[in-house]
Order: sequence, then C-alpha cells, then structure tokens
Amino acid sequence: MTPDLRVTIAGVEFANPVMTASGCCNYGEELAQVFPLSKLGALVTKSITLKPRLGHPVPRTAETASGMLNAIGLANVGIDAFIKDKIPFLEKQKTKIIVNVAGATINEYVEVSARLADIGRVDILEINISCPNVDEGGLEFGQSPALTEKCIAGVRKVFPRPIIAKLAPNVTDITQIADAAHQGGADAFAVINSLVGTSVDIDTWRPRLTNNRGGLTGPAIKPIALAMVDKVYTKCKLPIIGIGGISTYRDVIEFLLVGATAVQVGTALFVEPDAPVKIVEGLKEYMKTKKLSHINDMIGKVRKYT
Amino acid sequence: MTKPSCEDTTLVRARDLHHGYFSFTFAPYPRVAECHPGSFVHVQLTSTDIYLRRAMSVASVNTRRHELEIIFKVFGRGTAALSRFTTGSKVNILGPLGVGFSKPRSTYHPVLVAGGVGFPPLMFLAQQMIDDGMDPKNIHFFYGGRSERDLVERARIKKMGIRFYPATDDGSLGDKGLVTKSVEKFIKDHHAKERLRLYGCGPEPMLKAVDELGMQYGVAGQISLESPMPCGIGICLGCVVKLRVGGHARVCCEGPVFEIGEVVL
Ligand SMILES: Cc1cc2nc3c(=O)[nH]c(=O)nc-3n(C[C@H](O)[C@H](O)[C@H](O)COP(=O)(O)OP(=O)(O)OC[C@H]3O[C@@H](n4cnc5c(N)ncnc54)[C@H](O)[C@@H]3O)c2cc1C
Ligand SMILES: Cc1cc2nc3c(=O)[nH]c(=O)nc-3n(C[C@H](O)[C@H](O)[C@H](O)COP(=O)(O)O)c2cc1C
Ligand code: FES
Repeated sequence: MTPDLRVTIAGVEFANPVMTASGCCNYGEELAQVFPLSKLGALVTKSITLKPRLGHPVPRTAETASGMLNAIGLANVGIDAFIKDKIPFLEKQKTKIIVNVAGATINEYVEVSARLADIGRVDILEINISCPNVDEGGLEFGQSPALTEKCIAGVRKVFPRPIIAKLAPNVTDITQIADAAHQGGADAFAVINSLVGTSVDIDTWRPRLTNNRGGLTGPAIKPIALAMVDKVYTKCKLPIIGIGGISTYRDVIEFLLVGATAVQVGTALFVEPDAPVKIVEGLKEYMKTKKLSHINDMIGKVRKYT
Repeated sequence: MTKPSCEDTTLVRARDLHHGYFSFTFAPYPRVAECHPGSFVHVQLTSTDIYLRRAMSVASVNTRRHELEIIFKVFGRGTAALSRFTTGSKVNILGPLGVGFSKPRSTYHPVLVAGGVGFPPLMFLAQQMIDDGMDPKNIHFFYGGRSERDLVERARIKKMGIRFYPATDDGSLGDKGLVTKSVEKFIKDHHAKERLRLYGCGPEPMLKAVDELGMQYGVAGQISLESPMPCGIGICLGCVVKLRVGGHARVCCEGPVFEIGEVVL
C-alpha cells in the first residue's frame, strides 16, 4: 500500500506536505532546472511588493553555526513585473502556487493582494507580516496584534481565496499574534519566519551584513521553530505550516508531530536544491515502515509527558 | 542555462602546492564535459559550523577520465575544512554553475590577468584556447601576487608555451609592484599593433584596475567576480552586483564572468 501524502489546508488540497519557503526559491524558474516542481506540495514565491526593490547592498548574507543570516531586504521585481514576467511560468507548473506578499503599509499589502486576486492560478496568499529585514512595515506589523488583524482584514476584503499569515518569532507571545491574524480572517498560519540576529567580523569590527542585522535561518533555528509550532497548535485553531531549519524527512516528521499540517523548506535548498524530492521519498519510506496510511496519522500526535 | 545537479564524487588526488594552496582532483565527475573556463562548482563541507557550500572555479578537466580539478588557498574555516579532506573522501559537488568566459577568435591576442588564487580559471582558459588551435605565443599570462610564494603552479603555466609575466608586490619575482601596472605597460606597447582581449580573475581591487584599463584603452574583455554565494544557483539573491545600466545581476548565474565595463566595482 502506498501511503497517502495528500494534505488539505483551507479547502486546498496539496499533493504532499512539502513546500518551498519564500525567498529561498525566487519565482521557481531556477529550481525547475533541478527537479520538476510537480514534486512539491506547493511553491511559495519570494515576497512581492508594490514597487520593485533591489534590497540591501552586499554582503547581505553571512554563514553562522548550522545556518546563516540574511538581510536581502525583500529584493523583488515588484507586482507589475511579477504578473507580466513570472506568472506565465508559474501558471504552467503542476503544483499549487502560493504568492508571498509584503509591504511597508497596510495599503501596500492590500493593493498587491488585490492585483493577485484576479489571477486564478494564484491558489493562496501568504502574508509576510514578519520580515526582519526592512525598516518599515514587516516586523512592526508582526509584533502588534492590532496591526496584524488590520492588515489581514484588509487583504481578506480583496482576496477571495485562502490567506496564510506568516508569523514572526520575535514576539513575547506568538499565540496573541496568531489569534489576531485569525480574527482578521486568516485561514492558516506559517510558523516561523527568520529570527533577528547579527554577526561581527573581529578583524574589521564591522557587522557581517551591511544592514547591521538580519534574519537567522537554517538548522540552528529548528528547535525554536518546533516549540513555536507546538505552542500555536496547542492554543490556536487554524492549520499550521511549519518552517525553520528543515532539511530532511526526519525534521518534517518532528514538525508534523507537534502539529504542522504542512512544512516549508528554505535555507536547506541552498545546500541541497533537490532536498524536497528527497524529503518526500523519505516520508513515504517512513510511513511504510511505520505502517501509516495517511499524513494525518502524524499531525499533532506527539506523545507529550504529562 | 545548464541544469545544475548534486553529484557524489571522490577525491582521487590531493596535491599540496605549499604556502596554503592545494589542488584537488575529483572523479568520476559525470559532468566534466559541461565545465567551461569560468564555470564553478559548489563543494559541500559537511560540518556543523560550515553549513553552506563553497564556490570553487574549475581549474582543469580531463573529459576522458571524468576528472575535475579545483585549486584553492586556505583562507577561512571553509577552505581549512576543505583542505582536511584526504584522498578517497566522498565529496558532494553541485554544478556545473555560472556563465564562463567567451573565447576570442584566433586572430586576437588574449591578455590574461590573474591575481593570487584567481589564476585557476585563467589557466583553464589558456589551455582551452591552445586546444582550440590558438598559437600559445599569442597568449599573454600576467600573474600577480604578494610574493614569489603566492605564484603557485608557475612551471605548469609556463609549460603551456604561453608568454608568462609574473609580478610581485615585494619584487621577489618578476616586475615589482601591482600586476596591473605591468599590464598597463603591455597594453600601451601593443594595443596599436595587435587586437587585444583582456581576461581578469583575482581580488576585487585588481579587477577594478583591469576594468578601468579596458575602458581607458578601449580593450574589450571579461572579468570573473567573487561574492558570498549561499546557493550558487540563483535562488537566494545573496550574491548580487550592481550593473552600470542600473539594477542588479546575480554573480552566480548571470556571472561570475561579466564584460569589462558592465558592472559597478
Ligand atoms: C565564483 C567563485 C569562484 C571561486 N573560486 C575559487 C577558487 O578557485 N579557489 C579559491 O581558493 N577560492 C575560490 N572562491 C572563493 C571561495 O569560495 C571562498 O569563499 C573563499 O576562499 C573564502 O574562504 P573560506 O570559505 O575559507 O572562508 P570562510 O571565512 O569560511 O567564509 C565564510 C563565508 O564567507 C563567504 N565569503 C567570504 N568572502 C568571500 C569572497 N571573497 N568570495 C566568495 N565568498 C566569500 C563564503 O562563501 C562563506 O559563506 C571562489 C568564489 C566564487 C564566488
Ligand atoms: C535568503 C533568504 C531570503 C528570505 N526571504 C523571505 C521573504 O522574502 N519573505 C518571507 O516571508 N520569508 C523570507 N525568508 C524566510 C524563509 O521563508 C523562512 O521562513 C526561514 O528561512 C526559515 O526557514 P529555513 O530555516 O528552512 O530557512 C527568507 C529566508 C532566506 C534564508
Ligand atoms: S548565490 Fe544565491 S543567488 Fe547567487
């Protein structure tokens, strides 16, 4: 019996629970050279803003123990070029398309989302209210329950299909933000975005990023991400997409057990661009060995100590 | 764009070139025929404090034996870890990556300007130009470094029969001073008589000087850039350079080789 890897979030069915993380696969074209994107549950695009952005000057990445810092600064082509140049490619892909949206003001989020509402092939929006790499917007929204609710509610009005709120880990209580996003009309949570961090070169006494700080990602953040998913799963009501330091199927199973319905793979793509394919294979094998017929048999099934 | 792939290969030869330089040959690497001068590979270093791969230019290939050579200098913890691999080690290589040098027509006199550990792709370029039938006497190889010890693999480069011009900051070998000073003198003496083409690979200040020389004397050519490269395949946007026409290009996939005058250095 082949195990069933399909999962459903807000009425959208995914072939498997493995997605790419925003900002770690550009708009999909490059990864399509490595493996057919149909192997993915979904592709999540780079954050799209209203106007094109070049981002911060280099160096805008730095390696750290078991991970990396980035302060790319939401470099992206902007909504016009995205629709004109990137959507035609994405429309042809046999996987679900999730477009990640970012902005400096609530209006910007709403405007970008409204443009995407007309494109049926955009299955879901992921609202990035949690980017640590821009001075305006981003984290500020993600750290305030009131702004989070307002932002999501704004997008809700203009976008008829499901909305994922991508949450920031740099908050006192992530469940408050999650509940606010739920109130605003979100259909699911993506947990987590990168953690604020920095690194200094002791020869030059300069930060290793021109932005002085950036977002920590990769295996280093996995334990934190797992704890956050667990917390949100325990206290909040919407399905969760787990993100943070996933590079193997074993990591994915941990996320499923603490309550994630699906997962996203980010930084690991830089080291092993075909990681999602290996992960899906690994999941199948694991389920066969454990005699599990469906992914749902694992979601939230961690056997906690009481 | 060639489709990149991750391949497990074996370190079959490790040569210590001294003064911190190493030559590693991997085999069998199934994609050697798709490696061009200026192409690079991304080498995986599995260790907890070294998560990302390291970019290494292809220094030579042996298509018959499916061998791929890289040459590197121990610089930080990544290259230090690389140097600790021993023959027989399994190493995962992501490649072939990047857009390499375009070869000039045989009537041109290529002027190759290498700085330190920037020499491997230019050595590969010289070899391919010879293999393609160019007269080695028309290939001019300038090789600069801090001192004589930094100019490794000199015998190998000279053996190709090309014209070889070393330069060192301390004068321990060849011209004393920056290699680009020697290059400028050469351009002044030759560019009226011969059709020159510049090719540069080395530290950024050297590339900037090569770029300026090309523009000043109207000599076209190409330079190969470095940038921190988390992914090497265009998906992280970490490696960008500014273009003179505006906007950014990714060094890993629009480069690493760019035309003289194309980028803001
Ligand atoms: C296209 C390309 C080809 C290269 N070819 C060669 C080669 O043939 N031989 C060789 O010895 N080296 C080469 N390098 C440089 C090499 O990849 C290493 O990044 C560099 O030697 C730094 O050494 P490290 O990894 O030991 O330093 P670490 O201190 O371990 O590096 C830390 C991080 O900084 C990044 N980094 C820092 N400075 C640079 C830089 N100037 N360029 C790129 N990344 C940097 C590294 O990618 C890494 O993520 C090449 C780089 C590029 C981009
Ligand atoms: C280089 C880079 C760029 C990123 N850009 C974005 C982005 O534009 N929007 C976003 O919501 N998240 C972005 N992220 C965060 C990832 O989507 C993900 O939440 C984070 O990297 C944690 O997962 P990981 O450990 O698997 O990488 C970026 C991450 C990296 C490493
Ligand atoms: S190294 Fe990632 S885009 Fe160039």
